[in-house]
Amino acid sequence: MADTMGQSATATRNTSMALGFCLLAIAPQIFEFIWSIGTIFGWGAGRGPATVVMNHATALLAGAPGALIGAASGDSKKASSEVLLALIYSYPIFAVAIVTLFMTVRSAQDYVGGVILMALGLFALWASSDLQGMRGFSFGAGTAPRMFGGLLVGLSAAIALTGLLTDGPGMSHYSWRGPLFVMAAILFFALAIRPLGVVVSAFASFMIAAAGSRETRWVEAAIVGACLTAGCAVLFPYVLGLPMPMFPRFLVQ
Amino acid sequence: MDLFANLAHGFAVAFSPINLLMCLIGALVGTLVGVLPGIGTIATVAMLLPITFGLPPVGALIMLAGIYYGAQYGGSTTSILVNIPGEATSVVTAIDGHQMAKQGRAGPALAIAAIGSFFAGCVATVLIAVLGAPLTKLALAFGPAEYFSLMVLGLIFAVVLAKGSVLKAIAMIVFGLLLSMVGSDIETGASRMAFNIPELADGLGFATVAMGVFGFAEIIRNLDAGAEMNRDLVQQKITGLMPTRKDLKDSTPAILRGTALGSILGILPGGGAVIASFAAYTLEKKLAKDPSRFGRGAIEGVAGPESANNAAAQTSFIPLLTLGIPPNAVMALMVGAMTIHGIVPGPQVMQKQPDLVWGMIASMWIGNLMLIIINLPLVGIWVRLLRVPYRLMFPSIVIFCAIGIYSVNNAPVDVILAGVFGLVGYWLIKHDFEPAPLLLGMVLGPLMEENLRRALLISRGDWSVFLTRPLSAVLLAIAAGLLLLTVLPALRSKRDEVFTESEN
Repeated sequence: MADTMGQSATATRNTSMALGFCLLAIAPQIFEFIWSIGTIFGWGAGRGPATVVMNHATALLAGAPGALIGAASGDSKKASSEVLLALIYSYPIFAVAIVTLFMTVRSAQDYVGGVILMALGLFALWASSDLQGMRGFSFGAGTAPRMFGGLLVGLSAAIALTGLLTDGPGMSHYSWRGPLFVMAAILFFALAIRPLGVVVSAFASFMIAAAGSRETRWVEAAIVGACLTAGCAVLFPYVLGLPMPMFPRFLVQ
Repeated sequence: MDLFANLAHGFAVAFSPINLLMCLIGALVGTLVGVLPGIGTIATVAMLLPITFGLPPVGALIMLAGIYYGAQYGGSTTSILVNIPGEATSVVTAIDGHQMAKQGRAGPALAIAAIGSFFAGCVATVLIAVLGAPLTKLALAFGPAEYFSLMVLGLIFAVVLAKGSVLKAIAMIVFGLLLSMVGSDIETGASRMAFNIPELADGLGFATVAMGVFGFAEIIRNLDAGAEMNRDLVQQKITGLMPTRKDLKDSTPAILRGTALGSILGILPGGGAVIASFAAYTLEKKLAKDPSRFGRGAIEGVAGPESANNAAAQTSFIPLLTLGIPPNAVMALMVGAMTIHGIVPGPQVMQKQPDLVWGMIASMWIGNLMLIIINLPLVGIWVRLLRVPYRLMFPSIVIFCAIGIYSVNNAPVDVILAGVFGLVGYWLIKHDFEPAPLLLGMVLGPLMEENLRRALLISRGDWSVFLTRPLSAVLLAIAAGLLLLTVLPALRSKRDEVFTESEN
């Protein structure tokens, strides 16, 4: 009974792991899509979301196999960046995801860590694929990144392999509260420092970050935050002479 | 003697009022950072980098150096009194130091830690002065091939001494090397892996990544455990700082050994204060007649590591000042501080900037003297600081870090990038990857690539140049030997033993 329970637990675990890797395999494409939504509102230049989806979908489904056949028949037409991304990055990760389904993972910590690191290496290989390689005996711009990218893929594959072959710790517990609020505070500060100035952004970020802990007492935090903000407002712009706006732009003008 | 003339010149520079003040500020901030857990030296130096923009270069570097070795003093205080190491370098001090405090001997433990640190600091100061000139001459014999091999040796050294899996440590170094390649290529100017983002064109800022991986990630990780760490503060008043004669007799050889070991580990690239303190503790335990005393308040367990970490913190300036190679992350930030002021670290610094080099060396000795005063009689003040609860401290650290990162380049994007690297660092911790080798790879990446390319260009593409040049071949042979030793299973188990001390 206990055995079958354990088995089914690893089975569901493996499926979710494989699904996670599939998501990882198209993460850059998804990121570009989200980024491209901004162009609808006129932020930044770039392709619209519709073009992005179309290009990546054709590259993933049709373009890359076509390029593979083309390469096999000696046709050296230059592949587009989407096709390259699918070939260099997405396909290997999909392959890993499929392999994961049939494997017993003995140390999830090592296995998942290795695979994600491998994804980073593959991504670096793709990102440097448009750079010039060796020119005679001298290094081109792309030689070293590709060299180390390849090395990282190899090493992380070995790490993932140890996760399959040797027993080790499983995934450790991630909490969401701390990372979420600390990141929110950092993001708010970055976006607010120019338009709103030190006073507002420092105090608001302090309060956002303070929400990251369950033990925060709000009155106490507000007092300390106010004192800290006052200290920063004197220390950085005046004592240290660093150029930064003090108050919101609309109040000053 | 040249040496004395140089040192005299250095003291003349260091005793100027402004430099004395900088030294004092550095020592105070260093002690503060050392005492407070949850904020490390790397994050602090990164945070204070913009502050040094407005200072004269000598004063700026004196202050930053003071923070680094000052933190080694401060870290021991919390280790002994509260059993929470304020710095990674004093993790092992907590083992025996806190036991001593529980037995009511906090005073002697603090005193021995400070005396050991002071002695090590004096020796290291002299060592830098003595070794500086000859090593600079050696550096002139170094071509690109030798530089490359030396850096390989440094990286391998970092791998061998890193905690945990060798494979993971190497992967982290390669990851760091890759990160260092984002931005414009040095030779062709081609934009590499920057995705047409203008802020990335200049590469990832080292301070940004360091702040993310060591500053923000540390905060997030601490929040995991709940903001209120249990602090069994030793409540009774610290009475009688003076160690007994027996304490002194027991700790003298430990201090001597710790100083020697720390000095050697500090000079080698990839080494540094953290490793030195671990190694010193293991050495003391191995040499002791009765190893079972360790963990129950053996004074050697305080004296050895504390001397070693301070010696290593100071001697790690040697490769920076003579070869221009930063041996660890803090030194890499010092390179940043130097380049801000238009000083290129390397063999020529000693001749071109005697004020800077000798002034800094002399200031280290003065700083150590100040630290003894700051730490011993004033220990009560620092302990009181520990009563500040973490729930108030961590948002403050977040704000300080954010403002610090923003003011390096006045770029909001840098703050966001640091945040992203904070998440990366959190992920690394969760998967048991060490962030220190990553940073070292990132530091040495540009130098390594440049020298590799140059060496191959000179040899017309012949890779054997690294083996045919004798100096380079020796360095690579040592690196290969070290790696082989680590991978061999018999020694592997011993190596693990060294680092399991910290888990106790």
